[in-house]
Amino acid sequence: MTETLLSVRDLKVSYQVGKGSIDAVDGASFDVPRGSIVGLVGESGCGKTTVARALTRVIADNASITGGQILFDGQDIAALPEREMNALRWRDIAFIPQSAMNSLDPVYTVEYQLNEVLRRRGGLGRRQARARCEELFEMVGIEAGRLGDYPHQFSGGMRQRVAIALALALNPKLVIADEPVTALDVIVQRQILDQLRELQSMLGISVILVTHDISVVAYVCDRTVVMYAGRIAEAGPMDAVLMEPSHPYTMGLRNAFPDLKGAASGVLTPIEGAPPNLAFPPPGCRFAPRCPFAVETCTTQQPALGMVAPDHRVSCHRADEAAKLRQEAARTETWLADA
Amino acid sequence: MSHLKAMASRALQLALVLWAVVTILFLMFRLMPGNPMAAYIDPTFTVEQQEALMAQFGLDKPLWEQYLIYLGNLLQGELGQSFRYREPVAERLMTLLPNTLILTFSSLIVAYTFGILAGAYLAWRRGSVVENTAIPLVLTTRAMPEFWLGMVLLAVFSFWLGWFPAGGTRPAGASYDSLWALYTSREFLSYLALPALTLAIYSQGLPLLLMRSNMLDVMKEDFVTMARIKGLSNWSVVVRHAARNALLPVMTSFAIAVGYQLQGNVVVESVFSWPGLGRELVNAVSASDYPLAQGAFLMIAVVVILMNLIADLLYSLLDPRISHA
Ligand SMILES: Nc1ncnc2c1ncn2[C@@H]1O[C@H](COP(=O)(O)OP(=O)(O)O)[C@@H](O)[C@H]1O
Ligand code: SF4
Ligand SMILES: [Mg+2]
Repeated sequence: MTETLLSVRDLKVSYQVGKGSIDAVDGASFDVPRGSIVGLVGESGCGKTTVARALTRVIADNASITGGQILFDGQDIAALPEREMNALRWRDIAFIPQSAMNSLDPVYTVEYQLNEVLRRRGGLGRRQARARCEELFEMVGIEAGRLGDYPHQFSGGMRQRVAIALALALNPKLVIADEPVTALDVIVQRQILDQLRELQSMLGISVILVTHDISVVAYVCDRTVVMYAGRIAEAGPMDAVLMEPSHPYTMGLRNAFPDLKGAASGVLTPIEGAPPNLAFPPPGCRFAPRCPFAVETCTTQQPALGMVAPDHRVSCHRADEAAKLRQEAARTETWLADA
Repeated sequence: MSHLKAMASRALQLALVLWAVVTILFLMFRLMPGNPMAAYIDPTFTVEQQEALMAQFGLDKPLWEQYLIYLGNLLQGELGQSFRYREPVAERLMTLLPNTLILTFSSLIVAYTFGILAGAYLAWRRGSVVENTAIPLVLTTRAMPEFWLGMVLLAVFSFWLGWFPAGGTRPAGASYDSLWALYTSREFLSYLALPALTLAIYSQGLPLLLMRSNMLDVMKEDFVTMARIKGLSNWSVVVRHAARNALLPVMTSFAIAVGYQLQGNVVVESVFSWPGLGRELVNAVSASDYPLAQGAFLMIAVVVILMNLIADLLYSLLDPRISHA
């Protein structure tokens, strides 16, 4: 048993749109160690959900995985026959969606939907399934008496707990949570994140937490993978990436979000401009059009994902100047001047 | 509890609609040109009969008083005397109602069973050759006039192949111990087959297309995607989740369709000489049998209104978002 549960290597996913195609994920590589929470963070539209769904291989009708490997427990599940992949789903890889409201079937009770996975996928008998339902509800802090309720009878936060209970039902090795708290208010967000963290460490499972909110990553994650326009910008231990970012985009993200643990200044500076159209991505570094530190090579050559420290990778031509760039990035003018 | 309250207010609403229908019928037949008594009294009735009806419906009284008497009579199921049959309208209609209901329900059950299954299947096979040929075919059945379809079925299965009788509900001269004995007899079924099939073919398009488009919408819902991510079988995903949700509005449309069908029946009942409400209504109107026409209108309206109420009930039964609000 290695320390790495999941290793995504050069993953490519594209969407067919009319006659053309969008390379929504264009060579993403990152690792998920066992027993850790990895935050996958980036602006809306950068390809986070596409990556998350590719890991389950339940993707949109017009999507296809066009390259790369997804090594799960040493096995490349990108190349697995559908039957074998389906056997893995939910038993080994479970999913917590953004909106538990829409992802629970409105016409069945929560118990029915738990039973569905426990019995059909987990092979449990009726009694065992009932006991497991009660156990799961206790784990997520809902009274067992509410098992017979329908999804619409729960509050938003409770529904998200139900979704967590569902995800944990079959003791998976990996839980992928796609924006699990985005739809909730801040106080409930904290509660759900605390619970997720607690259950994750209690059960020793791995979690990929997809979010556009860097403060969520700062709050619960062990590691961070920063995505930009379908590629990985920076990946490493959470503290290293967020406290001493080496990629200008990560530096910019940090300035743009409030409430970041240990963030010194109270001033928020957004990154000007918008991510590129993925149907016609710019050559070279995709962040170049918005990067205050872009130099000549940035617009012609794609930077490789290189090591800046053991376990910390960055895809930037000026990664070795990171310390200097961080100082400049801390100044608001840096981000205004360029636009 | 709020659920019960909602149902009660819906029932009240429908009672108001019924009252409006009753009132419109009253005014329509009273304010027709000619003798206002024409609504109830045929000149060929005997003097005693005429006088009895004058008294029963207060036809010599002012309009508002007639209205009250009319409402009172209705509450007691008193609809007057048919001009043509010289018998109480209510009795006459009660012998026709079962025929109409049997024809309507049997054809709609066939149409909906087929439509729901085929619609779900076509949604699942979206974009396939099967779907591309089936949809124009279904649209064709929607466009065919009922009487034409009825005639074709008659020509083929009755006159040519001789498999089914041509019209009516029973062989000439046949008699049965009870209505129940008639309706459960094999002969009755063979008489029912062609008109029911005609209506079923005509009606199957609506549930089919509705089911298909609902399915296509539901298949895009997150919970269907989640069912796949859970690794559930295709059957579970398509039937237990997608079809079950897509079914809700289709089931409601069934009750509404019963109401529409009662009107559509007119044509088919005429083609197959089926003694039902629709055919009777047409005959009554053309024979100026006003009490009978009025009664038939009313009865159809009552069934339509009742089915609307049932549609609501059905929806709240099938949709936990309403029943467990
Ligand atoms: N089914 C689809 N067809 C075409 N383009 C899509 C589809 N789904 C997502 N995209 C595009 O792919 C890119 C990445 O989307 P997504 O993975 O949802 O991003 P994120 O989750 O980071 O917000 C976006 O540009 C989006 O518009
Ligand atoms: S490669 Fe160049 S443009 Fe891209 S982030 Fe680094 S400095 Fe900016
Ligand atoms: Mg997303």
